[in-house]
Amino acid sequence: MSIRTALFATSALLLATSATAYADIPVGHLADQSGATSDVGVPYAQGVADALAYINSKGGINGTKLAVDSVDYGYQAPRAISQYKKWSSGSDKIAALQGWGTADTEALTGFVGKDEIPAYSGSYSGHLTDPTGKGPHGSKPAPYNFFYGPSYSDALRGMLMWAADDWKKQGGQGKPKYVHMGANHPYPNAPKDAGEQLAKELGFDVLPAVQFALTPGDYTAQCLTLKQAGANYAYLGNTAGSNISVLKACQTVGAKVQFMGNVWGMDENAAKAAGSAADGVVFPMRTAVTWNADVPGMKTLKEISKLSDAAGTAYRPVHYMAGVCTAFYMKEAMDWASKNGGVTGPNIRKAMYQNKDWVPAGLEGVCVPSTWTDTDHRGMTAVNIYRAKVSGDTGASVDDLVKAGTIKLEKLTTVDVPRKPEWLGW
Amino acid sequence: MASVSIIPSGDYKTSYGSDTTIFPTRTSRNFAILGVVLLLACPAFMDRYWLSLLIQIGYLGIAALGLNILVGFTGQISIGHSAFFGFGAFASAWASNSLGVPVALAIPLAGMMTTLVGLLFGMPAARLKGLYLAIATLAAQYILQDFFARADWFTGGTAGTIAEPLTILGFAFDTDERFFYVALVALVVMYILATNLMRTRDGRALVAVRDHYLSAEIMGINLTKYRTMSFGISAFYAGIGGALYAHYLQFVSVEGFTILFSIQFLGMIIIGGLGSIMGTLMGTAFMVFLPEAMQALTKLVSGTAIDTALNLKDNIAFLREMSIGLVIILFLVFEPDGLAHRWKQIKAYWKLYPFSH
Repeated sequence: MSIRTALFATSALLLATSATAYADIPVGHLADQSGATSDVGVPYAQGVADALAYINSKGGINGTKLAVDSVDYGYQAPRAISQYKKWSSGSDKIAALQGWGTADTEALTGFVGKDEIPAYSGSYSGHLTDPTGKGPHGSKPAPYNFFYGPSYSDALRGMLMWAADDWKKQGGQGKPKYVHMGANHPYPNAPKDAGEQLAKELGFDVLPAVQFALTPGDYTAQCLTLKQAGANYAYLGNTAGSNISVLKACQTVGAKVQFMGNVWGMDENAAKAAGSAADGVVFPMRTAVTWNADVPGMKTLKEISKLSDAAGTAYRPVHYMAGVCTAFYMKEAMDWASKNGGVTGPNIRKAMYQNKDWVPAGLEGVCVPSTWTDTDHRGMTAVNIYRAKVSGDTGASVDDLVKAGTIKLEKLTTVDVPRKPEWLGW
Repeated sequence: MASVSIIPSGDYKTSYGSDTTIFPTRTSRNFAILGVVLLLACPAFMDRYWLSLLIQIGYLGIAALGLNILVGFTGQISIGHSAFFGFGAFASAWASNSLGVPVALAIPLAGMMTTLVGLLFGMPAARLKGLYLAIATLAAQYILQDFFARADWFTGGTAGTIAEPLTILGFAFDTDERFFYVALVALVVMYILATNLMRTRDGRALVAVRDHYLSAEIMGINLTKYRTMSFGISAFYAGIGGALYAHYLQFVSVEGFTILFSIQFLGMIIIGGLGSIMGTLMGTAFMVFLPEAMQALTKLVSGTAIDTALNLKDNIAFLREMSIGLVIILFLVFEPDGLAHRWKQIKAYWKLYPFSH
């Protein structure tokens, strides 16, 4: 009986404490720490969380602190939406949202537009770049969606342009064969049509898309398909974890394909996990540098990193840095808003349009200059293409491997994707 | 499941009708009415957070009741309930988006469409029992989930679909305060329907099938008919619950309807009490409030001495999931008959106090 009583008492107590209290400027933070994209979701969310905590430690937004509520939604759009409904309610309505995935961000687009809550997501779906909904590809208006980085579509366009050049340089004969790979999920699918369309225009032979799940698994069958079809260039639409499985399987079956990951498709951790299979994979990078670079902005980043790593020794992958940049764009917009009518959603949005080719103060050399306008939310169209280089055994820690030069992220080129009006929202 | 209610001395029954009354005493009926009236006032003093939890209890409670009719009352098993819930959600969104059916009609229509799907998948129930049936329903779960991901015309594929808010005569139920009433009305109607069903000849037949199918058959009950029918009724409830969910969230995505969700439905009825209508609601409430409470608890722990001592950091999110599992196990060990049984004992205790024997 006593255990039962204790059970009930605990339940009652827990229920009583479950009401959340907000103060200051409420900010919602959706993170994937346990779902299908948690491999890259964890470092990104850590970057956002550390940056917001750092902003608070420096006095917040002109003296007002941010009340951040971080929630792990397990990469499930319905959970994100019900969480958003809580955040967007009553007097403690959030002023801005730090979001994550494509499915949830796209599903929330209408809601955040109606509630006038700027949403800074980790999804770079091209559909989110059209604030007015006038794009010729039937895009819906996304006036309150922002992200830091080239859109998935633009990044893929940049890589395809690189690939077309690369094919010529390699002395390839005939039409190169391109294939889109990824899970049947909004995130890998987002740039599929845009990529295949441009690939055709650039003279690629576009093969039927190949599917593989967002979770790691045995993808030998997919690699055999690639090999039999003779694919030359393949886009990996998933996040690092499942891409590693593909890279390894393709190495095993001997499919000689130039893989092109997206911004979430490759990082230092993935290069370590995939080992020599990751060697040669190209991917677009959002920040100008990696963790050990010597640029002024890295000083701030190292301080931010100490908030979750007091010793200051942790090596942070590229996603962590992108998370910090995203949070700081929001911070600067809030700063402007607080001086120009208060930190409200519409004012934060207006603030995003105030500067051109803009890097948040303190992050010089890290974040790539970006510009948003009220008709075009393609913050950047310059695609920095990097190649992962793995030379040798990857048994040590990422920090050691990078220091020893076993893992290198080498810059290949920057492709300026034209800001074509017909590509808006696509 | 037989119910033991405490009847005042001198209040005895003289007809079958009075024996199957919904409320054993006038007081219990008045309390139930008072409860509903109090709930009606909730939007006046509750914020959207609490209302959203109550709305969740509403639509999940309806779907869970369907499962309890199937599992608790008929003795069948289904581990594909979330797929029917999802079918209802998509069907209602599809009917209103593509066919132009008003949402108010799309919801019952979705219920009927789900019933047909339920009957289809319930057909193996006529022949299969126990584990075999469980696996057959598991197949339903996977077939439907795959269908959701592929049928672009019906579900919007993996990108999901938008569901319009419920609008009646130009009045849109698009806020929590407004939708709360929709959920409440639906809940009351569906629960009264189920209660009455169990008092009918058909309802008693379902219970007979559960208690001893051989005896039931000898008594002339058509096992095939009732077993399949139970699946249909169960799917109808799941469909209505799913449709309400769709128009509340205004977005439906295949991701929501996993096997884990099906297991959660089973958890709701087991914790609430198999074969108890009131217990279903209690179990649903428990399953809705528990993660929220655990979330609050992990938030309290985060950053404290316990957090640093155990070096939890990011793993604190998993602590929540794990504790939910633990609480459920504890419940099953110490409270196997569910919350409904406990509630009856509490009532009995106070009725007899201080002479408990």
